[in-house]
Amino acid sequence: MALNPYDTPRGKLRMRAESTRRQFLLLMGTIAGLGSLVFGGFKLLGFLFPAATSEAPPQFKTTFTVDDLTGGIDPTTKKARIGANVAGVEGRVNVVLDDAGIYAVYLVCTHLGCTPNYTTGVVAGSGKTDADADRRGVRTQSEQKPNGWACPCHGSRYYIDSTNFYGPAPRPMDWVDISIAPDNHFVVDRSSIVVYRQPGDITPPQWRLDPATGQNNGKTIGV
Amino acid sequence: MSATPSEVNPVRAFVAQVWGSIFRHGLPTTDKVAARTALTNFFLHIHPVRVKKSAIRVSYTLCLGGLSFFLFIILTITGLFLMFYYIPSVDQAYQNIKDLQFVATFGLVIRNMHRWAAHGMVITVWLHMARVFYQGAYKPPREFNWAIGTLLLLTTLLLSFSGYLLPWDQLAVWAITVGTNMAKYAPIAGPYTRYLLIGGRNVAQGALLRFYVLHVIALPLIGFLLMVVHFWRVRKDGFTGGL
Repeated sequence: MALNPYDTPRGKLRMRAESTRRQFLLLMGTIAGLGSLVFGGFKLLGFLFPAATSEAPPQFKTTFTVDDLTGGIDPTTKKARIGANVAGVEGRVNVVLDDAGIYAVYLVCTHLGCTPNYTTGVVAGSGKTDADADRRGVRTQSEQKPNGWACPCHGSRYYIDSTNFYGPAPRPMDWVDISIAPDNHFVVDRSSIVVYRQPGDITPPQWRLDPATGQNNGKTIGV
Repeated sequence: MSATPSEVNPVRAFVAQVWGSIFRHGLPTTDKVAARTALTNFFLHIHPVRVKKSAIRVSYTLCLGGLSFFLFIILTITGLFLMFYYIPSVDQAYQNIKDLQFVATFGLVIRNMHRWAAHGMVITVWLHMARVFYQGAYKPPREFNWAIGTLLLLTTLLLSFSGYLLPWDQLAVWAITVGTNMAKYAPIAGPYTRYLLIGGRNVAQGALLRFYVLHVIALPLIGFLLMVVHFWRVRKDGFTGGL
């Protein structure tokens, strides 16, 4: 009777070695395959994060000039001829003029990112008074208006210095860098935040651009 | 030359061969042939060969899963029609939707069918899930199918969300702005998820194209594959009572 070579003690040992070797190779192959899938897949995600996008650049020049906003600078007082005012929305930015100078508010609601609208009756129905709104901004010489912004999505409201006072917004809107170009237009840089206030911070920011000198005072917050 | 009954008519033979190659049996007049019909036909094999009368009784459960699938079919067909006119470009998308409503014949009907079926599908999928939950139909041996069902619910909601952006009106843009900003609140992965979804910092051309690809290819394909598994498991796990 022929003997099955795998039935011998040596054969059994060999069979075990072969099967454990197969198991080992299978295990290694599985780890290598899964590993390359995971790492390769993770790197492939980079395809969806392009190195550059065709979005509008964060820096832009306004269509209106410094004089459009200020009515020109009075040579004796070195102040703007127009009182507190707000220019039209451009690139989701409102350029605000008050007695202390000029600043730019980036109109991205801090709740969920809609664009709040400028309004001159911002406190209506909010429980705040016109006097609360008037205390915001520097308006000693200028016409006082209870102005600010109201978000159309979920009703958040902001005073003219972008401090939130009503609705779900968790913190004030950010101020971005604004400067004056040689052709007397404003240059707004939305990628450069000059005032970033944390939730609950209601202090009026002091950062301003002086329209007479074209320089800002550098009083940034939170950046 | 006149044909005698013993001769084979070549035209008839050809027709019979073609017919026989598609349908492997005669008309299903007996139970046996009916069973074979269901087994050998691709479209009929989805249906069980034997169904208990109680299982197809339309009761208060209203066959909500079937209704969801029916709406999915309507959405697929009407969606295909809409794709003939719609271009996912921020300059053209809104005008294309207007063209669909006022220029294309039946465009208004087809667009509204797509819209209402979409709302309906979200409702029926929710109700279907609620029915399965309240009847305890998620319990073993159906727990795997319940898990597939939750993924199908998620796919349905994502389809609804991605389709919402495509008309490119104010409602669409700000709804997606709000929705993707919610995703941003998630720890660590949040901002990446938002960028991944909208392909930029703001809801713009990148977002429209990504949502379009998700809406017409990726999500329907995922949904279809999940449905195949879902229906297969319904067949294998059997029915509890009414559908």
